[in-house]
Amino acid sequence: MFLAIRELKHSKLRYLLIGLIMVLVALLVFIISGLANGLSSDNASSIQNMKADYFVMEHDSKNKLNRSIISMEKLDEIRASADVKAAEGLGQMMITLNKIGSSEKTDVTIFATDASGILAPKVIEGTNYDNKKQGEVVADRSLKEVGYKLGDSLKDDLSDKVFTIVGFTEKQSYSHSPVVYMNVKGWQEINPALKNQEKDSISTIAVQMDSKAEENVRESLPEGVTLISKEESLQSIPGYKEEQGTLKMMIAFLFVIAGFVLAVFFYVITLQKTNQFGVLKALGANTGYLAKSIVGQVMLLAVTCIAISVALTYGVTLIMPEGMPFELSADLVIKYSVLLLVVSVLGSLLSLYRVAKIDAIEAIGRVS
Amino acid sequence: MMGEKLLFENVSKIYGEGDNKVIALDNISLNVKAGEFVAIVGPSGSGKSTFLSIAGALLSPSKGRLLLDDEDITTLSPKELTRVRLEKIGFVFQSSNLVPYLTVRDQLLLLSELLGKQDKKTVKKADELLSHLGLGHRANHLPEALSGGERQRVAIARSLMNDPEIILADEPTASLDSKRGRDVVEMLAHEVKSRNKAAIMVTHDERMLDLCDRVVNITDGKVFG
Ligand SMILES: Nc1ncnc2c1ncn2[C@@H]1O[C@H](COP(=O)(O)OP(=O)(O)O)[C@@H](O)[C@H]1O
Ligand SMILES: [Mg+2]
Repeated sequence: MFLAIRELKHSKLRYLLIGLIMVLVALLVFIISGLANGLSSDNASSIQNMKADYFVMEHDSKNKLNRSIISMEKLDEIRASADVKAAEGLGQMMITLNKIGSSEKTDVTIFATDASGILAPKVIEGTNYDNKKQGEVVADRSLKEVGYKLGDSLKDDLSDKVFTIVGFTEKQSYSHSPVVYMNVKGWQEINPALKNQEKDSISTIAVQMDSKAEENVRESLPEGVTLISKEESLQSIPGYKEEQGTLKMMIAFLFVIAGFVLAVFFYVITLQKTNQFGVLKALGANTGYLAKSIVGQVMLLAVTCIAISVALTYGVTLIMPEGMPFELSADLVIKYSVLLLVVSVLGSLLSLYRVAKIDAIEAIGRVS
Repeated sequence: MMGEKLLFENVSKIYGEGDNKVIALDNISLNVKAGEFVAIVGPSGSGKSTFLSIAGALLSPSKGRLLLDDEDITTLSPKELTRVRLEKIGFVFQSSNLVPYLTVRDQLLLLSELLGKQDKKTVKKADELLSHLGLGHRANHLPEALSGGERQRVAIARSLMNDPEIILADEPTASLDSKRGRDVVEMLAHEVKSRNKAAIMVTHDERMLDLCDRVVNITDGKVFG
């Protein structure tokens, strides 16, 4: 580090500029991944927070909840399996609700499940809905933020059925719409897809089980259904894959850009210093020493820049508007910081190769 | 064979093969003793740089044997040669070739850093060397602030930092006017004598030769004198 630090100090402007680029790239990485996370939970927090590891879907549903119809009898069959810790039925559909006494309309996702089962929402205000009584619902808090209150009545446009908000829950969204919980009976009555269905039906069965038991459970599944993981279920939410895919691709490109920018910068500097490295080798510096010096510089630069952009990222979150979907966990910041550091060091390999090729003999018989 | 610092035994260097073959050094034998300051002269293309590169463990001879401080360095690996250069050879290059971002003191400390022993003692030693060569007031300056003569003096100080057995100078006065050039060579001669080192200097400048103990003339890869 003898050479590394002294050179950084001497060529401040040069390293300040590359540092600035690094800070900006790292800042973009953190902000975009914060957005990706934020959008992901804005999109699908209901599934992410659901106490389920797997979902049983109708075979021909292409893993789409709105296409999947499973008879209630299958729930008992699934529960009977020794590998299944718990299982619960869930009905799903997307509808538009009209607030009675106003022209306001809201698109929501209906989740229907046993009010006392493992999928029942955690009520943060009001009471839970009743399994027997018809017309009671528990809505996601975001409805409250747009003006709905406890006791408000909502009408489903299609079926003309009316529901009353008896409670609010939180962190329940599906495909960027708020989730409204009700009992299974109520859902069956308003779901046009079930009109010709004689049997008692649901959309999916949420299963709690160990991933080691996956094969066992899959083999003993009842006729006509498949088992998918929670992750697969997320991927099949309308728009989820596309949204996350785009952001993840941007992040991946940023890592590539960070690596390339550093690689080119240090390579050009190394080329410029070819003669100097030749002299150092003639004086008795071995390639390892010079390599350590370059890697040291890259690490020093990268660590400083990453630290600055982490600080800036948290600064930026403070001035973000309230409703902005932005979520950044310390875990992810650490993971991406380490990855940026690794990419930076990889970027310096090109320079190391160059340094290894320089021959000390160039120092002799040369005018500068 | 006490006192012999560098010994060339029937050394030849041949570049290329077949039709492109160039015999740069042709069966050269030469020895340099402690306290001896030898000048190498010869026309361009005669093999001076090749000679100095072999003496400096930067190039391996095609034939013959090379002893540095009684150690045969002909068969050493590149890694071992690097260590030999660091510990036993001091270089003064044509245009001083100081590291642009190191202060004068750090130019010297770099040598102990490369040896892996940098402490108070080495700092003291560097400062002593610098003040001895009249550079005490320049210790904290960068090379860009120095004159050409001062830079060459720093290079001489640097070459002495690791207490080498032999000092090799490659046209050290090429970038200086004759007055300053002479000062630098005088200083080099003085240090070699007072420290009982051996030194070889390649030069074009006939006016410096009176400062050397011996002049070796190389022509077409052969030694005369
Ligand atoms: N790397 C090399 N490959 C081939 N020929 C070389 C190489 N280096 C030097 N030579 C040749 O060897 C001869 C001696 O060169 P050199 O030692 O540089 O002489 P000087 O330093 O006296 O001018 C010249 O004919 C030169 O062209
Ligand atoms: Mg030459």
